[in-house]
Amino acid sequence: MTSLSLRRETAQVRAARRRAPAAGAGPGRWAVLAALVVLAVVMLVPFAIVTLNALKTPAEYAANGPLALPGGIYLDGLVEFWNRVDFGRKLLNSFLISASVAVLAVTLAVLNAYALGIGRVRGRLWILVLFLMANTLPQEALVYPLYYIAKEVGLYDSRMAVILIFTVVQGAFGTYLLAAVLGDFPREIIEAAAMDGAGRWRILWRIVVPVSRPTLTVLAIFFFIWTWNEFFLPLVFLISNDNQTVPVALGVLQGDKMMDVTMSSASALLGIIPAVVFFLIFQRTLTRGVTVGAVK
Amino acid sequence: MSKIGIVAAVVAAALALAACGSSDDAGGGGAGEARTLKLWHYENATSAMGVAWSEAVKRFEATHPGVKVKFEEKGFEQIQKTAGMVLGSDQAPDVMEYNKGNATAGLLSKQGLLADLSEEAAKRGWDKLLSPSLQATARYDERGVMGSGRWFGVPNYAEYVMVYYNKDAFEKQGVKVPTTFEEFTGVLDAFAKAGVTPITVAGAEYPAQQIMYQLALSKAQRPWVDAFQRYQGKTDFHGPEFTYGATTFADWVKKGYIGKESAGLKAEDMGVAFTSGKFPIMISGSWWYGRMATEIKDFEWGTFLWPGNQMSAGSSGNIWVVPEKSANKDLAYDFIDITMSKDIQNRLGNAGGIPVAADVSAITGEKNKELIENYNKLAAQDGLAFYPDWPAPGYYDVMVAGVQELINGTKAPDAVLDDFAAPYNDNLADIGG
Repeated sequence: MTSLSLRRETAQVRAARRRAPAAGAGPGRWAVLAALVVLAVVMLVPFAIVTLNALKTPAEYAANGPLALPGGIYLDGLVEFWNRVDFGRKLLNSFLISASVAVLAVTLAVLNAYALGIGRVRGRLWILVLFLMANTLPQEALVYPLYYIAKEVGLYDSRMAVILIFTVVQGAFGTYLLAAVLGDFPREIIEAAAMDGAGRWRILWRIVVPVSRPTLTVLAIFFFIWTWNEFFLPLVFLISNDNQTVPVALGVLQGDKMMDVTMSSASALLGIIPAVVFFLIFQRTLTRGVTVGAVK
Repeated sequence: MSKIGIVAAVVAAALALAACGSSDDAGGGGAGEARTLKLWHYENATSAMGVAWSEAVKRFEATHPGVKVKFEEKGFEQIQKTAGMVLGSDQAPDVMEYNKGNATAGLLSKQGLLADLSEEAAKRGWDKLLSPSLQATARYDERGVMGSGRWFGVPNYAEYVMVYYNKDAFEKQGVKVPTTFEEFTGVLDAFAKAGVTPITVAGAEYPAQQIMYQLALSKAQRPWVDAFQRYQGKTDFHGPEFTYGATTFADWVKKGYIGKESAGLKAEDMGVAFTSGKFPIMISGSWWYGRMATEIKDFEWGTFLWPGNQMSAGSSGNIWVVPEKSANKDLAYDFIDITMSKDIQNRLGNAGGIPVAADVSAITGEKNKELIENYNKLAAQDGLAFYPDWPAPGYYDVMVAGVQELINGTKAPDAVLDDFAAPYNDNLADIGG
């Protein structure tokens, strides 16, 4: 689902780029600007409300509701949440899992896609369709089989289980995407390299990977963010508090009938900050990757 | 280029760490004198249960030298979604808090994942401490239906539905705390006539159905509750109880005691509307009590039992269960026993919870006393009637939808009662009643 929306987004970005110069200096431009401003506001309002409530005392929230401005800046909610769930540890866990998945899944996807996209495999289309179908399976359907396997091999309640599962899940999508990209890989380059005596292995690492690096980086970044945000499978597989990831830790605050709005907001804020920071660091790489794709 | 280098370095480090991390699992669970009791629950550390239970952990460690308690605070959702899987693996805790009810504790007991506590309950006297309606949620038969059979859980606290009211608003309106149902409607009427919607309600979640149930219970006695909740007899959905409940509820909407806009509201909205003083009355459970006590600063508030009812929605709280796979069952029983002791129970009461075996004279604080005295009154008249969504799986959504129809006025009470009857009778057929 995330992958589909991603592709829709990239398509929209491309479409917007193509349309932008055509709009020229007419009133259409202002309309687009206004629409974007409205969109930005709509996107930012939830963040604003979360921030507002994160900085409020519970009593202020109870007296004036969620939309009122806080009387002062109250950081106890943030601090208390951090200590209560040992947030530093959760950050480390999330980072470990996401980073490992990003690297392993991209590696897996490259190897698969090299075989499927550049090499000649009989029934290549059907293999890709199979990958795509596996990718659309809901995680709820996978939970029980995975649970029994993990239990059998002794990986239940370990981060390694989550890393392996998501490497395969993300790798399947990566294979699908990369196989399509490498299908269009200029044959001449490969043939020239083969002529010079490079083997298949050498061609992969010296030619194919460097040329498609922008795509691979973007893929790795998306895998990282998607894995970071995963909730359901980590919830099931990471039982000990010591192994839990950030999204699972946020769930601790949701009680049976009670919720603690101010602290939940504080935790939500803490939960999104790493993703935002990560995005800001790799923003350039991301846009570059997307544009490279668009030119192709 | 350098960025790629950073990524590579970082990832290499991450992988190395992950590899180390997963290998250190092997160390735990050694035999010998150093034992650990693995305890899980999902109560906030500052809530009454959280406070009392952390005291119980201290007491346990003091009386069990050489045993360490490893407590992990869990999320409600995690326990709810994964309990079956965790308890089937060897990562199960030794004692944990779990939801009472057929679909939760009942199901796990049927699957053989919970230890039978009957012997301990008799030996340690838990069966004497808990009143019959509290025991209902502790015992499950071989079909996993609560109310009779073996003990699989031990409730440590209780809950009930009551009326929270804004004392300042009552004073301003010149009304008194009602003692009969007529006086209660009189109070509601006075507010409605003055242009104030008296009751804050959430139609999209549990509160609205509980009000409807309270109204039905005003015509009901224990046998009707046993028939409806435990399938010990036939329930007539068009009998006087439900008919009165549904028609009066619809009537209250018409008269303006309940706002039309409440159909789409959630429990949290309802609570904030009360704490911010927008409504003088909120009808809901004791689980709000601690929050009201700490968060309401701008007005005086109090509670009273729903006037005139013999029966009222309420039950035991969540229960302690001991997983069948636990290797330290003896320690788990000791821990449960400590939480049932007078000291810990009094602590729970003084922190704003409802203890099941406390000494009322040891409870300080006027508000806590009022809460517990009202509960004891209800328990003494055998008045805990459980909740309307308990009898059948998926019944919660049926109740929510039906009561929303009543608030919106889109369906007549009679038709809504038909909607309630259908899934109930289906379930009755399923369990072979």
